[in-house]
Amino acid sequence: MIPTLTTERLILRAPGPQDIDPFAAFYATDASKHVGGPLNEAETWRYLCQVIGHWSLRGYGRWMVTRKDDDAAIGLVGLHNPYDWPEPEVGWYIWSGLGQGFASEAGRAARDYAYGTLGWTTVMSMIAPGNDASVRVAEAMGAVREKDHDHPRHGRLMIYRHPGPEAAAP
Amino acid sequence: MTDIPTLETRRLMLRGPQPEDYPNFKATFASYRSRFMGGPLNAYEAWMLYAAEIGHWDIRGFGMWMIHDKDTDETYGMAGGWQPAGWPEREIAWIIWPDKSGKGYALEATHAVRAHYYAGGWDGAVSYIDPMNLDSIRLAERLGAIKDKTAQTIDGSDAVYRHPSPQALDGSQLAHGIEMEIGHYADPMFKPKGWALD
Repeated sequence: MIPTLTTERLILRAPGPQDIDPFAAFYATDASKHVGGPLNEAETWRYLCQVIGHWSLRGYGRWMVTRKDDDAAIGLVGLHNPYDWPEPEVGWYIWSGLGQGFASEAGRAARDYAYGTLGWTTVMSMIAPGNDASVRVAEAMGAVREKDHDHPRHGRLMIYRHPGPEAAAP
Repeated sequence: MTDIPTLETRRLMLRGPQPEDYPNFKATFASYRSRFMGGPLNAYEAWMLYAAEIGHWDIRGFGMWMIHDKDTDETYGMAGGWQPAGWPEREIAWIIWPDKSGKGYALEATHAVRAHYYAGGWDGAVSYIDPMNLDSIRLAERLGAIKDKTAQTIDGSDAVYRHPSPQALDGSQLAHGIEMEIGHYADPMFKPKGWALD
């Protein structure tokens, strides 16, 4: 049910049990502070289950990102809309191989999927203030800042609105 | 994603949890009924738990089914195998919606899921139960589970009930007794004595 996407350098595939360790290693560090972390091992395990269950509940979700020649997960990217999100977002985080444009490459593939396959007409990204690396990815993808969103659990988040399907067409 | 098998019993059909089954799950986990299963939960927590119930199948290869009435498709609760991170052993778990208790659905469903997992190679199972949850303790005992005081608990606040092994259960008087009890519940003329059991 979860499709696989391929980009120039990356594969976006369904999350599975093989991702527990790299996912937990990322969420054990402060690098996860902008995306709900740090989380302990049990919390991360359950969160990975939730990432998969999101696909079933929404019909779309997030992929594990891998390099083409290595199945080890280096990030989680895709379409995210849990219960208390204001609208669906395209989100990304990369924990290995930073600085090589993997987030925007995978993010574009996810956005193309939202526009092309799912027929969405708009999509945004919510970014925690201080997450400058993620802002740079959003801007590289052509997104522009809109009003902020006060989230009940995460506090104030910045909304970046992506160009629409035609402007963002690959 | 994992293909979740369907289990059929006398009155029930057990299927993988679907998005359209969520409202009853949410209502139960928002209620006092869920106090022994980590609830009551707010709307966000309930949604995330339901998502995790689905993803558990992919990560573990087993999980919790939604219990449906075979004829009407109405849902009555959930039952299955459960072992999130931090669980010492594989658990047989169940929850019945508050207004569907007392009909023997939990017994019928858990008996079927245990048989399914035993047939698939499990050599045993436990149920982690809050010592205050008398209805679930009684169900565990009707299933032949015995309190194991030496087994590791999840966090010290739960009691471990150990299910009979596949060998001990197979063809036993206990197994026949469970099927007979389920048969009573399935009989429309049956009026259980005493308080209602799940």
